[in-house]
Amino acid sequence: MKINILVFGQLYDITKVSQLTIYEVNNTEQLTRKLIEQFPELSKFKFSIAVNKKIVQQNTILNNEDTVALLPAFSGG
Amino acid sequence: MIDKKKRTVFKEGAITPSFIADSIAAHSRKNNIGAHDIFLGQVRNDLIDNKTVVAIEYTAYQEMAEQKFYEIREAVFAKYNLVCLHIYHSIGVVKTGEICLFVFVSSVHRKEAFDACREIVEQVKLLVPIWGKEIFEDESSVWKENK
Repeated sequence: MKINILVFGQLYDITKVSQLTIYEVNNTEQLTRKLIEQFPELSKFKFSIAVNKKIVQQNTILNNEDTVALLPAFSGG
Repeated sequence: MIDKKKRTVFKEGAITPSFIADSIAAHSRKNNIGAHDIFLGQVRNDLIDNKTVVAIEYTAYQEMAEQKFYEIREAVFAKYNLVCLHIYHSIGVVKTGEICLFVFVSSVHRKEAFDACREIVEQVKLLVPIWGKEIFEDESSVWKENK
């Protein structure tokens, strides 16, 4: 089980990479927990999660090779 | 004829006044249009902790953003009777005083253009994964927050 992670905005200042890979997680809650273990500073930020470009509000099942994006508050325009 | 093709929204750097002028000129052939409404977002020289913003660097989740722009276009076309609609947003560095967002709505009568234009701008700010980093004179920066 391999999940591709994309990191944007101020969250990039924490991870220092725009892409990473997380293995052996089954859903978005497990994924978030694993990410926070790896980057504790992430817990200080509010961010949305998009699975394959769709924002998910609730814990969501992940499939192999899914792309999950970590999206801090938008500030376009 | 309704013009609702899927197209690229992002433009590298500032959106130039000449590009905007050319866009207006390109509509002179569409004789059924009676009203255009245009919104231009301009980078502002905010003062934050006694430092002045000199530019904003925009980044985006481009694939998702293009999808969102497409959905916004579809929803607005479904809701309002428009002739055409164009949205452009900068990516990369835009200096203060330069244009970073260009929304151009055309309809037969003014009301639809006004209403649709406002709705698009609000939706873009709310739904599209774009981030602005405000850059100061000393090259330090903070992430922008939308009000």
